[in-house]
Amino acid sequence: MTPMNWTCEHIEARLSDYIDGLLSPDERHAFDMHANTCENCSQMVASISHLVSDLHSIEQIETPPRLVYAILNQTLGPRAAKAGWQASFGWLRGLASARFAYYGVSVAATLLILLMASGISLRKPKLADLAPGNVYRNIDGQAHRAYAHTAKFVSDLRVVYEIQSRLNKDNELPTAPESTVPQSSPGKNPGSTDGSKPATPRQQNRANGIGRELEILATEVPVVSGQLCGRLLGRRIP
Amino acid sequence: MAPCNFWGKLVTVAGFEADDTLEQDAQLVQHCLQGDGSAWEELVRRHTRRIFNICYRFTGNGTEAEDLSQDVFLRVYKTLGSYRSAHGGFATWMTSVTRNLLIDHYRRTKRDRITDSLEDAMPVVENKESAGRRPDQQLLLGELSSQVQTALTKLSPELREAVILRDLQQLEYNEIRQALDVPEGTVKSRINRGRIELARILQQMGVRPS
Repeated sequence: MTPMNWTCEHIEARLSDYIDGLLSPDERHAFDMHANTCENCSQMVASISHLVSDLHSIEQIETPPRLVYAILNQTLGPRAAKAGWQASFGWLRGLASARFAYYGVSVAATLLILLMASGISLRKPKLADLAPGNVYRNIDGQAHRAYAHTAKFVSDLRVVYEIQSRLNKDNELPTAPESTVPQSSPGKNPGSTDGSKPATPRQQNRANGIGRELEILATEVPVVSGQLCGRLLGRRIP
Repeated sequence: MAPCNFWGKLVTVAGFEADDTLEQDAQLVQHCLQGDGSAWEELVRRHTRRIFNICYRFTGNGTEAEDLSQDVFLRVYKTLGSYRSAHGGFATWMTSVTRNLLIDHYRRTKRDRITDSLEDAMPVVENKESAGRRPDQQLLLGELSSQVQTALTKLSPELREAVILRDLQQLEYNEIRQALDVPEGTVKSRINRGRIELARILQQMGVRPS
């Protein structure tokens, strides 16, 4: 067989040698020469190459856990149960799994959140903090403080936006989109607040929107939002 | 005889198993033969997954694969004294034992499969076979793996074992030659024919290579 006259039969017979890199340079050259000019052979080479690649990518199947024990029981016979302290602590081996660690971290995080919500100080823990009455009072206090802070924060935001809108009016530099909005709805006055000079509709709507969202947030997660507000405002909770 | 030199030569001759694995297996076998149960336990743990995979890929049935894996280890345990390291690595010897048991099992269950193949000839049953794999098996295998498994069971046992050992177990030609106890030319021919046939079956099933 000379390198230049390989046929389709040669290609099919040496296909795996080609894929597995077992052809000599001359044979590889002859293989390529034919495969590059024959549509059927080039398709076959591509198809088998992809198949081999796919087969190599398939991972091994996990062994059923009972199989090893079944084999050991069949060959060595049933093994004697561990005695003494090894038997007592045998169950601890199951705790050293990734799944258990995940559950443990989840439970710890949940407990931490609950402790923070109930106002128990982790730095200076006191037995009295665990009394039901104290826990209730702490949670109630946290909720009220969170609500108060949120209301204050919203109020501050409204003032800031109103001042900003007045400054914009005074400078007489209205932006084009803002000036178009009131004209399209002259009968309505979405920017008015308490009879003072109205802010621009977009600014007022943003202020109202943020206020509403914060109120909802404060209602749903009083503790988190209370702390957040406290940090944002940089003030101590009274 | 210095064990290191000996195993080094064996690896050069066989050219497929890592030095460490060969040496560790050889030491474990020696300990087993001296009655060390923990050495046998270690051997079982090291090779169970590989043997189970070969059995599963050949039979396509988890329960049969478990039973056959147990049979393989039982036979290996009983005949461990006949293992000669000069003839190849322990893993190759185990593969050879596995292959012989699989072929025995194939011959024993041939009658059942003739009935199955008659049923397979009916198109309705053909669809049922590919779609009827248990959900837990589909999860176990993944889509591609499941399709390949279905196609593998349609190959002749000679081509199937060659493809499993080469492309799923990724053994070298020399290892397969020793495990199947056939000339290397036969191994090459079976692998080549097996791949082409497998691709044809997958194409008929409507599976396109990725």
